[in-house]
Amino acid sequence: MKALLSKEFKLCLHPAVFIYLALILMLLIPNYPYLVSSFFVCNAIFFCFQQARENGDAMYTAMLPVSKAQAVRARVLFVVIIEAIDLVLVAGMCAFSIVSMPHQNAGGTDHGLSLLAFALVLFAIFNLIFLPSFYKTGYKAGSAFLKGAIGVWIWIVLCEGLMIASQAAVMVPFFRFIHENIDCMPKTAQAWTVQGILFGAGLLIYAVCTALAAHLSVKRYEKVDLQ
Amino acid sequence: MNILDVRNLRKQYPGFLLDDVSFTVEDGSIMGFIGRNGAGKTTTIKGILNLLHVDGGQVLFEGKDLHANETACKERIGLVLGEFNYYKRKKLSAIAQVTRRFYADWDETLYQSLLTRFSLDTEKKISELSQGMRTKFAIALALSHHAKLFILDEPTSGLDPVSRDELLEIFRSIIEDGEHSILFSTHIISDLEKCADFITYLKGGRVLCSTDADSFKDAYRLVSGEAEQLERFRDRLIGYRAHAFGFTGLMKKEDAERAEGLKIAPADMESIMIYTEKEDDHESAAL
Repeated sequence: MKALLSKEFKLCLHPAVFIYLALILMLLIPNYPYLVSSFFVCNAIFFCFQQARENGDAMYTAMLPVSKAQAVRARVLFVVIIEAIDLVLVAGMCAFSIVSMPHQNAGGTDHGLSLLAFALVLFAIFNLIFLPSFYKTGYKAGSAFLKGAIGVWIWIVLCEGLMIASQAAVMVPFFRFIHENIDCMPKTAQAWTVQGILFGAGLLIYAVCTALAAHLSVKRYEKVDLQ
Repeated sequence: MNILDVRNLRKQYPGFLLDDVSFTVEDGSIMGFIGRNGAGKTTTIKGILNLLHVDGGQVLFEGKDLHANETACKERIGLVLGEFNYYKRKKLSAIAQVTRRFYADWDETLYQSLLTRFSLDTEKKISELSQGMRTKFAIALALSHHAKLFILDEPTSGLDPVSRDELLEIFRSIIEDGEHSILFSTHIISDLEKCADFITYLKGGRVLCSTDADSFKDAYRLVSGEAEQLERFRDRLIGYRAHAFGFTGLMKKEDAERAEGLKIAPADMESIMIYTEKEDDHESAAL
């Protein structure tokens, strides 16, 4: 697995990954739907798959002493590492914002654990749709990404829409609860607890969905004839 | 002992069937794998290596099921599927650096000596190499991890005659110790004439014959005769070419020995393949 992972980073890593990870700076933009920055990471992952495909990576890897299942698991781990780096950067930016420039984000989710939770679910959705869809053929990265992107954008609109609605309709108890505990930089014990639970749930959803995505991808890729 | 035992390999495509392909590769031998373009040679090789999802059959490598022990078996197989056409914008050194990590028995000294022998500059990118040099690079990678079996699909295509000869010499030296074997697919039959111990001939997805190279050649004779003799011997001719002065064709050895009045000569592999494939041409012409 170490050799395969090293191959992923040395041969498949597209330079766009660094550029899109740098877009984490978008979290410094006042009043912006910060979840969008994580979508760009999905875009970077798609570029890696596309680059690998264009370079005949499937056949090169198949010639190495590894099974198809190992090749898929290594690629999934590669994706998880890129997403984990983004999540660490999101956490860093949230911490920075909370400490140095606390403000209410009118454009969507505030800097906090809930943003991380939403980003985790965003990646879970992307992985669950994109990976099995790609490994059904082993080469149709474009249509797999389109399906994944649709799922991701529905999630972004839902989350950010709900947060904006909670700011506008704060008089409604449900929205007030969201506004005071989820769509905020956590300061109160209740907000920390609620956001902590959300973050835990996000982690769980991410782990389950990504494991399921890997399982489905392996199963589908076994049936693919490499040409 | 057989290092590779392919049993009833089967793969159905729309319009093509790889039909119960079976053959064995003995220790210390070179098996020539021949057939026309589209006969199923590459499909068979991919089926052997689990690159294709086969519909049936079994592949044994050193007595073990290759598909069930894929990783361990592939580590002992040197593989060349034509020229190295992957990651063309990467340097040879970068590709080798990644590849060597997969093999516990990677021999850096051997690899460096092959680079020198093939005049490969590791600071060049794959895209900067000619087709022949890319093939040489693929061969250098395949030879550098002390594999027991080498599966080479069209390894000499695109190479100049000197390089091809040099490569065939390397192949002969590899199997000299009796412990290494080569499965060598090509349509450059003259290469096999020089080095193959056994021949497996694939035609239309089926194994036409799998035998030692001498028996393969000895089973056929090239015959030639006058134009008026053609009708008399047409049924016994496997394939023939009619010309202004008569005809030349291929017969089974026993048929040729009974054919009075024809000039008989030993058959070479290329002629056997050409006339065997011509059999179909005549059938379709008759239709």
